[in-house]
Amino acid sequence: MIWSKRGISVSIDALRAIQSLLPDAEIVQSDAPADDSYGGAYGEAPCIAAAECVEGRTLRAHRVVGEPEVRFAGFLDGIQRARIECHRNGVPIVEGRVAAAIRVRVNRRFTTWGHRIPIVSRRLYMPLVFLQCEGRTEIDGFDIVDTSYDDRTKALVSRHPGALRAVAFERVGRDRDEAERNLAELWCSAGDAEPLFIDGGISGSGRVASASCAVGVIKSHQTLFADGDALEVVMSLRRGERSSVFAPPSTRRHSVISWYLRLRDPRGHDAMFGLVRIEASVGGDVASRANEISRWVLAEAAPLSLPDSRWDRMAYGIRDCEQFLRAIA
Amino acid sequence: MTQALGRVVATERKPNTPHEFHFWTALDSPVGIGTIVRVDGRRPVNGQIPRVYGIVTEGFSYTDLVTPLHDVMSHDGAPESAGFASAERAEIRLYSAAVLRQIPEEPLQPVPMGDVFLALEEDVNIALRMDGYLRDGSNTGIPIGVYRAGGTDATIFLDADFLVGPEAAHLNITGVSGLATKTSAVEWLLSSLFAHFPDSRGSIAAVCFNVKGPDLCFLDLPGKLDDGDRALYDKMGVPARPFENVHYYAPYAARGYALNTLRSNEALAHNVTPLTWGLREVLQYAEVLLNRDDIDAKADALIDFITRSVIDQSFTDPMLSRAHVVQSFADLEDWFRDVLRGLENGNKESWRTHHVATIRKVRNRLSNISVRCAGLVTDSGPVSDLPFGEFEDRATYVVDVANLEEDAQDLIFARVVSKLREHLERRDLGVKHVVVFVDELNKYAPGDGPDTYVRKMLLDIAERGRYLGLVLFSAQQFRSQGHKRVVGNSGTSVFGRMDPDELAAPGYAVLSPATRTKLATLEKGQLMIRHPHFTQPIFVRFPRPAVMAGRLGAEQFPQGGEVSLDVAVYRSLRARDSSVTLQAVEDAIGLHDEGDVLRALAVTLKERPSDVLGVFRARLPKRITQSVQARPQVAALRGGRGDDPYGAAR
Repeated sequence: MIWSKRGISVSIDALRAIQSLLPDAEIVQSDAPADDSYGGAYGEAPCIAAAECVEGRTLRAHRVVGEPEVRFAGFLDGIQRARIECHRNGVPIVEGRVAAAIRVRVNRRFTTWGHRIPIVSRRLYMPLVFLQCEGRTEIDGFDIVDTSYDDRTKALVSRHPGALRAVAFERVGRDRDEAERNLAELWCSAGDAEPLFIDGGISGSGRVASASCAVGVIKSHQTLFADGDALEVVMSLRRGERSSVFAPPSTRRHSVISWYLRLRDPRGHDAMFGLVRIEASVGGDVASRANEISRWVLAEAAPLSLPDSRWDRMAYGIRDCEQFLRAIA
Repeated sequence: MTQALGRVVATERKPNTPHEFHFWTALDSPVGIGTIVRVDGRRPVNGQIPRVYGIVTEGFSYTDLVTPLHDVMSHDGAPESAGFASAERAEIRLYSAAVLRQIPEEPLQPVPMGDVFLALEEDVNIALRMDGYLRDGSNTGIPIGVYRAGGTDATIFLDADFLVGPEAAHLNITGVSGLATKTSAVEWLLSSLFAHFPDSRGSIAAVCFNVKGPDLCFLDLPGKLDDGDRALYDKMGVPARPFENVHYYAPYAARGYALNTLRSNEALAHNVTPLTWGLREVLQYAEVLLNRDDIDAKADALIDFITRSVIDQSFTDPMLSRAHVVQSFADLEDWFRDVLRGLENGNKESWRTHHVATIRKVRNRLSNISVRCAGLVTDSGPVSDLPFGEFEDRATYVVDVANLEEDAQDLIFARVVSKLREHLERRDLGVKHVVVFVDELNKYAPGDGPDTYVRKMLLDIAERGRYLGLVLFSAQQFRSQGHKRVVGNSGTSVFGRMDPDELAAPGYAVLSPATRTKLATLEKGQLMIRHPHFTQPIFVRFPRPAVMAGRLGAEQFPQGGEVSLDVAVYRSLRARDSSVTLQAVEDAIGLHDEGDVLRALAVTLKERPSDVLGVFRARLPKRITQSVQARPQVAALRGGRGDDPYGAAR
């Protein structure tokens, strides 16, 4: 990778690979366009979903009993980078990079789990149908991911560059999820695995969702699993308080239990400040498990993850993991 | 193959250059300021994998914090809670290193990316180019100390050809007082030099001026060493024992017969020799004692006339009342008196082109010398000097000038060094090389102030001494205040713990802030070395000198008090012959004049005879024995008359 004169990172080797296949593709030197320039974001829209309360009949606030306890041995996170490297007649060709790693804590300092090589991959995401090069799976060492078809509907994606870009970016995100999932399953397959702090949910993998050592901590609240009074309870949680445990709907995912936890005092901040949702495996006394895991998560409130903008919800171990992945990927 | 302890890194902001590179290490690595490292490149250059040797000159440590405020917020402003945080922040140890050597040396390229290793002993030899002068058969290495880092213990050698000459020469030591820097380092280095100076380079001796306290007064007595010191001596192959061949020289005290030195204890008198000079010895260096106002062209001409035509010869002149043989200050005073009387009697204003005022001035100044340098310069006494022409290989000659007035110190220094130079020029000193150790260089060769004879002479040694084998080892507390050409001509520079004010002088700007900080906090026994072969300063550790420390020696061997003439002579003679008794000396001295006794003593000590007392007696002038005769009986003029004292009338 080099830096162009305009300060934008350009993958020379990726461009060479693309141009060997599509010599007339035009190089994109500017930064990625704003999400709305394509007529709509490719992320989920904020929504409220119903969830069954499994700790009592109604969702209420509980003070986490006991002192915070440092128990997490590992922190799992992944990163993704997607960028339109060039286009051919408006058809975007995206280079995607994903990486995932577990950072373990040894003497209060982080190091890569088992000194294994983290998962790092670079692929080209291209709608081969629109580029008239169907069947290609690789160029100059780059794996090609065909983004011509929607995974769910199996229908040809719209020729709209925004739709094509959205599909490519989504595929990159899915590849990242898969990398994280693989690592989490590897961790959980150990017989006496110690608690693993996973950035995000754990319901995507059956093995991870059922592992008592895996704890998912979700920082973003695109979907809120509370409504009405319950939502008010969640929004008004104070520092060191958690919500009752509930079971998120598991239409396409594996069953887990979940609850909200306020890590920091929200006074003077917005309602989501310091609010995380925790996912853990089903089983045992949910109240005592939620209390115990909450104590573990609260122990990760320091050191702060500043200067990351999500510092109020991000554990330092996750920030370390992200920094590590950014350095190597 | 050792494990890598770091990796070279370079950024646009901090790029590597041919003379500097950067690397990071694990937090617990043994790297510190002054550590020598080796970089193994990855890609061959001209078919050879490049190897770069460097010395750490600066270190950095930082975390991923953007502002300290974030850490305050992390712990709610309570420092005590920081210890309970679940994790430590990511932290880096980043070091900058100055390149010592690149292999291959051409093409000279920026330091490549690569793994960084702690330098092993053989790496240190290569890095400091010591491999060039430690070869079998032509080894000219002089151990100066041991470089230590991690598990590496490497002896650092100076090149004798660059320490003693002829390639370069001289050594200068800087450091604050009282921290085993200057004197200890010189004592250690002289031991090492005597042990390792190659036979092929000839003989060597040292002349040390003890300018303060008892620093150099006990070089021949064993000192206290611990196991660590002995291990260093073993490592460097230097015998851990005091100097074997030491000779002390000190003038007499101004009043009395005891030597003016802290080494005046009777038990140590065997190798202490009086240092006394007469008129001839002093007049050659009159310039040292006379300031510029004194010596104008006329005075200089008169002094020259006296030196050439009056001293040590029979001088006659029609104006003078008698022939003069001037051999001492007393003789010179007689001569001056006679000249001035002749001028007055003849009502003349000048004699042999010398004006009477000039004669009076020179008389005044020269006569004054024996008073100002009392104890050293004798009015009429004997001359006792260093054994010029008979210097011994690996011998140390200590001239104790600690208790002397400044004029006398200057005179001794000027004359001894000048004589050394003369003899070295004639190749008849007895040894091929002489190391002259001068402490307090700030005083003798200051950067500012008047251009004194001593300073000119030091400058001369510094600039030309190496061709003669005259080597200057100098020391001072403030290098920046020494004469630039004197310190600048020192091929080797040694730095002990430094005063921070001194380190702020412009001359130290070439050192990194970290190196300067290390210099300001050096432990006892640590030195920083600059040597022509080393492209960067190196930190070494040296052992305590194996000689008795000055203070300890002064406690164990207290200074002898003022003694009578008989006892002073007895002690001097007994040092040469233990069978001499005080009673025998008292009998020999009898009623002889003090001057005669001292003259006989000096001659005896100089001759070093087997029959010390016999020679001493023989050198005393013969005295005429006065026999006491019975009073002649004188007949009474008139007979007495019984008991009547008044003589009763008839």
